Amino acid sequence: MEQPPDMQSESKFQPVSPPPNIEFKVMLLLVLMGVLVFSSLAYVMYARGAFESTQQVILVADDSEGVIVGMDMTFSGFPIGRVRRVELADDGKARIVIEVARQDAKWLRTSSVFTMERSIVGSTHLHVFTGVLTDPPLPDGAVRTVLIGDATAEIPHLVNTIRDLVENLQNMTKPDSSLNVSLNNVQTVTQNLKGPYGALGVVLGSEANAKKVITTLDESKAAITQVNAILSDVRTSLKSVDAVLAEAQAVGANARVATTDLGALREQVEMNLRKVEHLVDEINRKWPLARDTELKLP
Amino acid sequence: MSQHSLLHSRFGTLGHVCMRSATSWWEIIHFGAVAIVLALSPSTYSQGNYTVIARNIYTSTWQVLFWFTVLCALVSLVLIRIVVVTASSYGLSQYALEMVVRVLVLELIPLGAALFVLLRSGMTISTEATASLMRTELVPCVIAVAFSVATLAAVSSVVALVLAYLVVYGLSPWGLTEYTHMVGRVFDPVVTVTFIFKTVWFSLAVAVIPLASALQVPHEATRESNPVPQGTVRLFLVLVLIEGVSLTAKYI
Repeated sequence: MEQPPDMQSESKFQPVSPPPNIEFKVMLLLVLMGVLVFSSLAYVMYARGAFESTQQVILVADDSEGVIVGMDMTFSGFPIGRVRRVELADDGKARIVIEVARQDAKWLRTSSVFTMERSIVGSTHLHVFTGVLTDPPLPDGAVRTVLIGDATAEIPHLVNTIRDLVENLQNMTKPDSSLNVSLNNVQTVTQNLKGPYGALGVVLGSEANAKKVITTLDESKAAITQVNAILSDVRTSLKSVDAVLAEAQAVGANARVATTDLGALREQVEMNLRKVEHLVDEINRKWPLARDTELKLP
Repeated sequence: MSQHSLLHSRFGTLGHVCMRSATSWWEIIHFGAVAIVLALSPSTYSQGNYTVIARNIYTSTWQVLFWFTVLCALVSLVLIRIVVVTASSYGLSQYALEMVVRVLVLELIPLGAALFVLLRSGMTISTEATASLMRTELVPCVIAVAFSVATLAAVSSVVALVLAYLVVYGLSPWGLTEYTHMVGRVFDPVVTVTFIFKTVWFSLAVAVIPLASALQVPHEATRESNPVPQGTVRLFLVLVLIEGVSLTAKYI
């Protein structure tokens, strides 16, 4: 499939017409490349905070494990600072130098609390919490102790607790453990519950006692039947008493009426007596001889 | 006695091969040094030479810039989408953008640009090079190819950064502060310097090694039967080496 040598030489030295405006296009490319490179560098420098004024906060920690240069310090979830340097102080503690932009420094107050959280999975996080935003602002270069919340530090305590828990479980599940004895008792109780006297046998302790209670209950049932019969007799007697009382009530009512009539009768008697007295007085006046003023009633 | 002579012969052959390989690499380095010196020399950009350089740049960059950018944007879009969706499904969406920038912009796009320019220009050049026209033909070619790799990588990186923002935040401007902060966190001084050096070394390698190897072809006439050009193999080796050094500098 190779071309003959004469054809190769013809194609190799065939004059090629230059494209139009080639120098302008190349100049355009050069300018584009220059603008792109310089703007990219400027953007990266801006993103790195090269053009903003910053202030420093120095956090002191016992251990700087997990802290890397360039990591963020967040406030309410927003990155406001960046770790610039991690160094070992003369007292053996770690000094974490953080740069905070001046425009974000208003969130840092003298009462702010700095924390470093390490999780089992994932990176270490630096947080700042400011409770009172009216406190004086944090000065430049302030040194603060960072509180470390280490999830892995809880692991030994957790392991100890789990070990105790497992030992307790082992003690509880031994054959002679109180739990096992209790369970056996429960089993006995449930077996008794399934017996002929059920819960009564469990409560009274033996079947004989349960039998006595059941006999007593039967006798009580017969007594209750008798009492019911007596009660029905009493009910009948009470009905008779009710009738007597009704009659007595009627008598009483008649007596009340008679008493009322007696009042009217008395008034009439008094009136008649007054008339008689008046008549006697009249007779005495008309009968002068008679000096006996005493009036003798018939 | 015969074993001794065989051993001597084998060592002799090995020594000859090593010597030839070292000479070959030295010639490549020498050619690269001369080309760089000539490229930095103002006399190379005389009026006649400038036309040749412009034509080479036009061929190697202008003609492919649009299509390479479109292709790179498509691949970037797919990769960004995959990374963002996968990271979100694992609850790690806060790391998705950083991973996209680190993988795409810092690693894949410069390497892709170098391989693309190699496949399009370098292998063609390697069959046509002649040493006699160093200043008028070869140096313009070196300048054009190096410029092409750098331009394609830069344009595609910017496009990938814009696409990553658009995929995650859409057309909303409210993610710009967070995105800029993330870019600043990724491009720390070490990473930025390594990225720039890597792109420059990729450009030089793609521009110099195929040409220098093509110039050695008359001396290595015994290898003409090899279907893969020797310069391409060497270039792959150098690209992998540069990538390895770059990764070591950034992450170790």
